[in-house]
Amino acid sequence: MSDGLTVTKPTADAGNAHIEVKDLVVQYGHVMAVRGVSFAVRLGEQLTLLGPSGCGKTTTLRAIAGLEPPTSGEIVIGGTPVFSSVKRISVPAERRGLSMVFQSYAIWPHMTVFDNVAYGLRVRRMGGREIAEKVGSALDMVQMGDFAQRSASKLSGGQQQRVALARAFVFSPSVLLFDEPLSNLDAKLRAEMRIELRELQHRVGITSVYVTHDLEEALAISDRIVVMRDGVIAQIGSPFEIYNYPRNAFVADFVGSANLIRGRHRPECGRDGLIALETAGGTLVYGTAHGRPIGAEGVFSVRTIHLGLSREAPPAQANVWPVRVRRSVFQGDFTQYQVDWEDRQLVVRCTAADPLAEGEQAYLTVDPRRCVLLEAEPAPA
Amino acid sequence: MTWLRWFWSVLAGQRFVSLLVGGLSAILVLYPIFYLIQAALNVGDPQARPPQEYGLANFGWVSEYPVILWNTVVVAVLATILAVAIGFIMGWILSRTNVPGRAVFEQLMALPYYVTPLMGALAWSFLGAPRSGFINQVWRALGGAEYLIDINTASGIAWVMALFEGSVAFVMIGAVMKSMDPSLEEASQVLGAGRTRTMLRITLPLVIPGVLGATIFVFAEMLGSFSAALVLGLPARFYVITTAMYQLLAQYPPRFPLAAAMGVSLFVVMFAMVFLYRRIVTAGSYATITGKAFRPRPMHVGGLRWVLFGVCAGYLFVAAILPFLTVAYASLQKLATGLPGLHGWTLDNYRMAVSLDAVRSAMWNSLLLGLGTATIGVLFMGLLSWIIYRSRIPGSGIIEYIVMFPQAVPRLVFAFGMLWAWLSFPFSIYGTLWLLLIAYLTVFLPLGIRTISSVLLQIDKSLEESAQMCGASWGYRLRTVTLPLLRPGVIAAWLLLFVASVRELGASILLTGPNAKAITPAIVEAWFSISTELTAAMALIQTLAVALALALLFTFARRASQYGGE
Repeated sequence: MSDGLTVTKPTADAGNAHIEVKDLVVQYGHVMAVRGVSFAVRLGEQLTLLGPSGCGKTTTLRAIAGLEPPTSGEIVIGGTPVFSSVKRISVPAERRGLSMVFQSYAIWPHMTVFDNVAYGLRVRRMGGREIAEKVGSALDMVQMGDFAQRSASKLSGGQQQRVALARAFVFSPSVLLFDEPLSNLDAKLRAEMRIELRELQHRVGITSVYVTHDLEEALAISDRIVVMRDGVIAQIGSPFEIYNYPRNAFVADFVGSANLIRGRHRPECGRDGLIALETAGGTLVYGTAHGRPIGAEGVFSVRTIHLGLSREAPPAQANVWPVRVRRSVFQGDFTQYQVDWEDRQLVVRCTAADPLAEGEQAYLTVDPRRCVLLEAEPAPA
Repeated sequence: MTWLRWFWSVLAGQRFVSLLVGGLSAILVLYPIFYLIQAALNVGDPQARPPQEYGLANFGWVSEYPVILWNTVVVAVLATILAVAIGFIMGWILSRTNVPGRAVFEQLMALPYYVTPLMGALAWSFLGAPRSGFINQVWRALGGAEYLIDINTASGIAWVMALFEGSVAFVMIGAVMKSMDPSLEEASQVLGAGRTRTMLRITLPLVIPGVLGATIFVFAEMLGSFSAALVLGLPARFYVITTAMYQLLAQYPPRFPLAAAMGVSLFVVMFAMVFLYRRIVTAGSYATITGKAFRPRPMHVGGLRWVLFGVCAGYLFVAAILPFLTVAYASLQKLATGLPGLHGWTLDNYRMAVSLDAVRSAMWNSLLLGLGTATIGVLFMGLLSWIIYRSRIPGSGIIEYIVMFPQAVPRLVFAFGMLWAWLSFPFSIYGTLWLLLIAYLTVFLPLGIRTISSVLLQIDKSLEESAQMCGASWGYRLRTVTLPLLRPGVIAAWLLLFVASVRELGASILLTGPNAKAITPAIVEAWFSISTELTAAMALIQTLAVALALALLFTFARRASQYGGE
């Protein structure tokens, strides 16, 4: 889990880093889209830039691609700087040896599927037979082998997506970049493509950087995730790390929904490696610090899915409180409850077969290991 | 070998080509403007170049000045009101009602544009001249006194110009009405507002910026228009700024500085207009233009639809069919002063026109110039569009302003600047077709760039970027992705440039020489100095030649694309 803590030292593992981004700043006029972002992508790794729209993730990706000129910083690919504001280097996109799948697919409508995929090979002046071979196997890999002579303008969204993918990896680029490639597909297709992408990535085994605003997508396909907000990095870590141990309130809320519980630290009540916070209402909540330092105050993040509700009091343990169900909304996969807890409400998502009614009394429980302490945030200036 | 390759890569590189093309366009546009302004400020010997003394005296009092200014304003205002009214009504009928034959009408609305103000002026001269005009003859035959209409007046000129410019206003206003999201109106109706209230509170405020923009655009065009005012105004000694300028240049001795000063003041006013137009369009378009093509639900107008049908048919008859028939009739008459009868029909005018060397060479020159302008133009303007709207070359914003400059300068004024500019050019191109070619390429920059860039802007940027990510160089991308996708825009621009060049008057009339005649100035010359019937025949030959050339090109283009498509 500790690899999630490379945040402050992006070059710590530069030994096998394939892409290094150092202090990247991208400015449009007066708007700072990216404000000093640093991270490294290891050889063969699938890294995802995750964040809400406008957080700078696509701009960062396009800066790596060479499609967006950064204002300052440095980008190194395979040990060679492709952009450096200090050394005044800026290698044009076509000479960076990367490849990219676009959000709009960018399939050329005036060509056949074959011509689309063959484009990168023809640019590299490959022989006709070799091209036919490579295009054929690339199209087979994305299950579009039968469509080679089809005009690209007559493809469905999912088919265009596959062709775009084949076109992107057919010429064996050193790095694949993905700009929200699944966001234009419907939910079911998206879930299928997600798995296919992950498989393809394992088979081809190339380094890739993936941009998305979809949490599930990021969790499913990434080796590591970079969560971004307002042009800066909020957290870097494995999907497990990001989901279970969010660093701050933003990550906790953006990466799945969470309740935040604030309280005074009571060191004398801590036990079994757990720490205790006392809320304003006087309730003691036990949780884990996950190795993070704690001051006089602290905030726990508790995922809505990790809270439990039951009619009977569970056997005595920490973190059990009687509550009243205020609102109950059935949402298919789960039922979402709002319960009165102290003088506020908590959101709970349960999958229980026997739903509670509004107004009913119940017991709220949560495993202390699921109450994760957030890092102390600098006081707002 | 390597340095050669390096040299070539620089030459074919994006930056070098962009700078070259951008710089060339800047020279084409700014060089004549500089000489125009220089000439306007020349208060010394009018023939001395460069001027020995500078001053503002040319802008001062010329005894006819107030009258000319007043005439210009009256004509422009009248014509603008009428043209915008035509554009608004036709736009509303054809995009918002269930008038019969809507789709066909929409196609036919281009016809008045193809008639051109010159042809319109010739035709309406036959129809509405106070003594000999056909309409006035009928009027007298019915017992009327003197005449019913006089086309050789301000309102006559405005009428002819408005009929032509009405189709331009229609295109602009119709586009606004069509691009309006119908759900905006539906929302108003769902919330309980009636049809009238919806019209007043929702529809009108949404289309007003577009209508205002069209009004200013049309007004600027009217201020600089030339041919109708020349053909209809000159016989009655009625001058607007452009025709007065022409008169100052055509008389002996020519009064260059005065003409230049007139040109500069007109240019300043039009520049302000175009600037205002751009401000309105960029400020007001966000509400209605969402980029999606809506097909608004047409309003069911009941029995009124046949009235509206009549309005549409009436406009097309008056603006396109009647002028064409009139000119055709006049061209087939010995003396086109009588109403159609059994006698007087002849083909002599055509025989005469075809046998005149001057006409033949002028026609041939114009077709040649059209081919040259269109072919060089699409390449040049296509590259410029790409540089302006796609490249990140610093200064591309300035290039956009410069190439759109000619839109704010009447072609006659521009040609005047060119006359001076290229006289002092080291190679002698004055009096040759080359000068006309350069002039056409300059004055039609906005036309070509607007046509191509409207298609270019629809091409998603990522289509080019993905080629870049595949490793393709700039030239390779342009050739394999951008140009093929741009083909409809390029073809449309080619045709527009060809037609516009063959029929150009304002710039040509100043720049033609004895060895470099163009057809439109020849037509005007024939009108004033030979015979009206011959002129009609020439105008018709020109129209038919353009139509024939286009038909041929279409056939070739289709065949070529069929073979090329395999």
